[in-house]
Amino acid sequence: MTGTPAVEVRSVRMVYGSGPSATFALDDVGLTVEPGRFVALIGPSGCGKSTLLRLVAGLEQPERGDIRVHGVTPAEACAAKLIGLVPQSPALLPWMSVLRNVTLPQKVNRRAAARRARIAGLTGRQPPAAGPDMRELLRRAGLGDVARKLPGQLSGGMRQRVAIVRAFGLRPDVLVMDEPFSALDEFTRESLQDQLLDLWEESETTVLFVTHSVTEAVRLADTVVVMASGPGRIVEGIEVDLPRPRRGQLLGERRFHAYEDLIRDRLRRAWHHDAA
Amino acid sequence: MTATEGRAVPATGEEPPARRRRPGRRPSVPAWLRPAVWLPLVVMLAGLAALWQYGARRLPYLLPPLRDVGRSLLDNPGYYVHNALVTLGEAVAGLAMGFAAAFVLAVLTSEFPLVRRAVMPVATVLNVTPLVAVAPALVVAFGFGPLPKLVITGLICFFPILINTATGLRSVPREVLQVYRTVDASRVELLWHLRVPSALPFVFAALRIVFPLSVIGAVVAEMSASGSASGLGTAISVASSMNQLPVVYASILVLALMGVLLLSAVTVAERRALHWHDSTRD
Ligand SMILES: Nc1ncnc2c1ncn2[C@@H]1O[C@H](COP(=O)(O)OP(=O)(O)OP(=O)(O)O)[C@@H](O)[C@H]1O
Ligand SMILES: [Mg+2]
Repeated sequence: MTGTPAVEVRSVRMVYGSGPSATFALDDVGLTVEPGRFVALIGPSGCGKSTLLRLVAGLEQPERGDIRVHGVTPAEACAAKLIGLVPQSPALLPWMSVLRNVTLPQKVNRRAAARRARIAGLTGRQPPAAGPDMRELLRRAGLGDVARKLPGQLSGGMRQRVAIVRAFGLRPDVLVMDEPFSALDEFTRESLQDQLLDLWEESETTVLFVTHSVTEAVRLADTVVVMASGPGRIVEGIEVDLPRPRRGQLLGERRFHAYEDLIRDRLRRAWHHDAA
Repeated sequence: MTATEGRAVPATGEEPPARRRRPGRRPSVPAWLRPAVWLPLVVMLAGLAALWQYGARRLPYLLPPLRDVGRSLLDNPGYYVHNALVTLGEAVAGLAMGFAAAFVLAVLTSEFPLVRRAVMPVATVLNVTPLVAVAPALVVAFGFGPLPKLVITGLICFFPILINTATGLRSVPREVLQVYRTVDASRVELLWHLRVPSALPFVFAALRIVFPLSVIGAVVAEMSASGSASGLGTAISVASSMNQLPVVYASILVLALMGVLLLSAVTVAERRALHWHDSTRD
């Protein structure tokens, strides 16, 4: 893999507030993600995972340091629609049908396509072909029958799937997800993880995925980034060298648990370090 | 008589769940035919009527017998219909003007903090100024034609719509805004696709306050313009100066009915426009 990384974060510091009450949400954070990788961020509550995602998505400006998405600033990346965001809540518009909800982001900011082609040209990638068939995408996510329903008529898991389809409909180069499954029960969560992986594997998208679940991180990610707080920072990046698809048998095997134990150990250390 | 109720949050679960009647479940009687629904109101009205009649017998100079009020209505329906239409026209036209001005200003204040800082203090002062006191001055300024009536009605309706709409435009959840900011939606796109639809429940809450107010505004304006020729407010002024009590109360009754009608119209429109909103769900 040569060329521009999909995401590059260099010695970023993020401070909320000022004076003695200032919170160092992030300090000296560096992270490089190659295109097409699935990266999970895990760490104790308040360590700055969401903040890091917001910075990458251009929703906030760092106090210090530099962030690039495919070689351009997050603001330029947003203007070219390189980024798809899946927040913790589905964030759907209650007055629009599911189908219109997932197509609206494609309809706004029409000039993005040209910008996107130019940025892709700079880094020698192919810009995605014309907009995907959203009905087909909804069907693939098991939402074919509810395309005309309103979000209020769906279950929580269905709404979360709609939010994921909405992000994938943009064919984003970088998909940014903040604990998208944390409000779901275990079975729904597993089936959504499978669907997410299916979509990811054929889309060549880079994924940044925040989670609180060690098992979810090991199951999904190529790299698990462990963070600690006070100030928020990255402790370690752990490569998960397990074959895909990671389902069934593999989840019970020793090598799977070994990764879980390793991550738990790093989290515990980070936590003790905080407490000390 | 000014809009002191200014700000209102969309009501939830206030109306009976008339929408989406389930067929097959209870096939026999519609809900409103059941005595438990209509009987309390009928008893209440009968009690009030009896009280009224008793009062009319004791104080014949203050209260006309209901029979006289009814006869006045039936003998002269054209008179009441004509005056009601005049007042209704003033109320609705004034409300439309106030609505247009308030909506545009709400959009401007929510988009530009500078405008907000300039407009809000003035609007607040306007809101606490009793319009009944201002009305005569406005009549002097704008003459006896329809214009002062529209201005007064518009002013009465202005503030509740401004405050509610401005609040509604800012009610888009943060995460929704974040999703659309990562695709760099323009301000106009955010306004049109997210902010205005999110404001609708608030706008309807304002309309519920403002429709009855608009009738009040029109009547106050008619009463302040001593030379005005028609309208229920004028009818009341004229009739009370000539001591025609039945006409006064018949006009008041028609005004009340008009208010109820307008309010029901808002409710129906709200049910249609906000079928997706929790406040219209069963
Ligand atoms: N808008 C804000 N204003 C002030 N402080 C903030 C703001 N957002 C985050 N913080 C602070 O920054 C730190 C990191 O917050 P962040 O939300 O990124 O944590 P997190 O790792 O996502 O936590 P969680 O796992 O609970 O979601 C916290 O100490 C928080 O109090
Ligand atoms: Mg978070």
